[in-house]
Amino acid sequence: MDRKEILKKSKRRRILREHAQLYGMMAPVLIHIFIFSYVPLYGILIAFQDYFPGASFLSFSGNTHWVGLKHLYKFVNSIYFGRLLGNTIRLSLLNLAFGFWIPIAFALLVNEIPYRKYKKFVQTASYLPHFISTVIVAGMVLSFVSKDGLVNSVLSVFGVKAQAWNVKAKAFPTIYTTTNVWKSFGWGAILYLSSISSIDPNLYEATRIDGANRWQQMIHITVPLIKNTIAINLIMSIGGILGANSELILLLYNANVYKTADVFGTYVYREGLLSGSFSFGTMVGLFTQIINFTLVFGANWLSNKLTDFGLW
Amino acid sequence: MNGQMGNAALRHRNRIRNGSRVADAIICCVSAVLCFITLYPMYYILVLSLSSPQAAATMKVYFVPDGLYLDSYAMLVKNSQIWRAYGNTLIYVSSELVLRLVSCLLMAYPLTVKGLRGRKFVVIYLLIPMYFGGGMIPNYLLITKLGMYNTMWALIIPGAISIWHIILMRTYLTSLPDSLRESAFIDGANHFQVLAYIYTPVVKPIIAVISIYTIVGVWNSWFSSMIYQTNTKIQPLQMYLRRVLVDMEVDISSVKSGMTMDEIAAAVKQNQLAHQIRYSMIIFTTLPVLFTYPFFQKHFVKGVMLGSLKE
Repeated sequence: MDRKEILKKSKRRRILREHAQLYGMMAPVLIHIFIFSYVPLYGILIAFQDYFPGASFLSFSGNTHWVGLKHLYKFVNSIYFGRLLGNTIRLSLLNLAFGFWIPIAFALLVNEIPYRKYKKFVQTASYLPHFISTVIVAGMVLSFVSKDGLVNSVLSVFGVKAQAWNVKAKAFPTIYTTTNVWKSFGWGAILYLSSISSIDPNLYEATRIDGANRWQQMIHITVPLIKNTIAINLIMSIGGILGANSELILLLYNANVYKTADVFGTYVYREGLLSGSFSFGTMVGLFTQIINFTLVFGANWLSNKLTDFGLW
Repeated sequence: MNGQMGNAALRHRNRIRNGSRVADAIICCVSAVLCFITLYPMYYILVLSLSSPQAAATMKVYFVPDGLYLDSYAMLVKNSQIWRAYGNTLIYVSSELVLRLVSCLLMAYPLTVKGLRGRKFVVIYLLIPMYFGGGMIPNYLLITKLGMYNTMWALIIPGAISIWHIILMRTYLTSLPDSLRESAFIDGANHFQVLAYIYTPVVKPIIAVISIYTIVGVWNSWFSSMIYQTNTKIQPLQMYLRRVLVDMEVDISSVKSGMTMDEIAAAVKQNQLAHQIRYSMIIFTTLPVLFTYPFFQKHFVKGVMLGSLKE
């Protein structure tokens, strides 16, 4: 061996040692992710079995009782399927209909506030609900919509008779959407506000010389320049259509309003976990995940087509 | 950053010359209404918690408390359950904080080393769980099988790592100059030393972002506890609040037949206090967050920005 080759070899050995060190560093995290993220993924197998508690997810001794898509058929044909699908889509679309444009409008509004300190105050105040825990928000909302609550006091001004709104199935979508929008609109506006703040002020200057007023500046400069941010958020929201905020719904709903409030997420919890139908519940969860993922891909594809912009 | 501020100030000045006074007035009024909508519910709860128990029970005070009654707060402070729940939450928050920060550093640093073999695979390995999860039931079965069901570990161990935070950290570390590391290598340091002595001190801003996200997130979480813990002694604060505020498990029907008038009066008062204690509890457990978030908001905003960077 000549000198060059020896040098090359020792360099390779050094790099190998270095990389072993780096992988050693990552090992605990990689193992953790394997156990707590990949093992549950593999656990999805029970959706295709008649799993009984205590069995292993997969055994080759013949104990595993494979049933194919039985649980999927059972779910799709069950009387709850239509109701769950309807509720999930209704609540998500309502949330999309309001939760999507309100942060944009709010960001545009805040951007136009002429007084600096006041602008800051408005923004800080709008974040507040984001920091209050869901449990407390739900507790507040439940007390507001009760018979003696704030909502009835306000409505009585308009001559509406006091009633307990929390047990009215018809009122649930409104209560849910309002709560969700109230909790998240200020936080949702952050991204838009920061992309607005990175717009070159010379653009505004130039259009003003051309005689554009404030409204025209907003429509022709601000909005087109935050289009990409809007597109990303739209894709993400569309992907979440079957993932209605079940944490909030679990806190707000009760048996009286299942008719309009029960969604896939809450159904998985009740049927799968509380009643112990593990395989069936896992299948319902898998079903919603696959549809969600397809929707994200679809929305992203569409966005790429229409605006040359997407997540991937 | 400075340049941006300058630009903003410039635009600001232009605006005042630009817009009409009427438009300004309308904008300010609309945003004032929005502020009222976001702040009033919390203020209303505060007013109820300070009013007389009778007024609080009927919820008919709106802007100024009818006096200053602190009985419900006194009751709250004497409640041992709430202190235990507070203590549990502190345990969860502090352990998650330490574990997540350490894991973020250990995982993100190697991913910034150029030429690391298999780096692409590791990144994909990290990204897959962000899009696909096993779901509630496989996770539940896993926790049960690991013997963590109904222990504090059921919350601590699975939450010890947050892939999203790792990616935030990696994005930040990638923005640091390579020369930082190179110079330490010339002095004979190894990767562990570089991470511990060179990188950790300079990543304080991102550590602040991740810490605040973790603290607020863990402080407000309750769902995993509901699934994995049935023992109320180890449940965090939010679970206790859920029992009191949402499930209304506090017994308020204490009026029984065969009571004397005095006893009934006392029972009714007790009843009203039990109602009011809910409002005091909301205030009492939200105050720490309310007082601190305005000071931390710049870090939050930074986190949102970093998280939105396209990979």
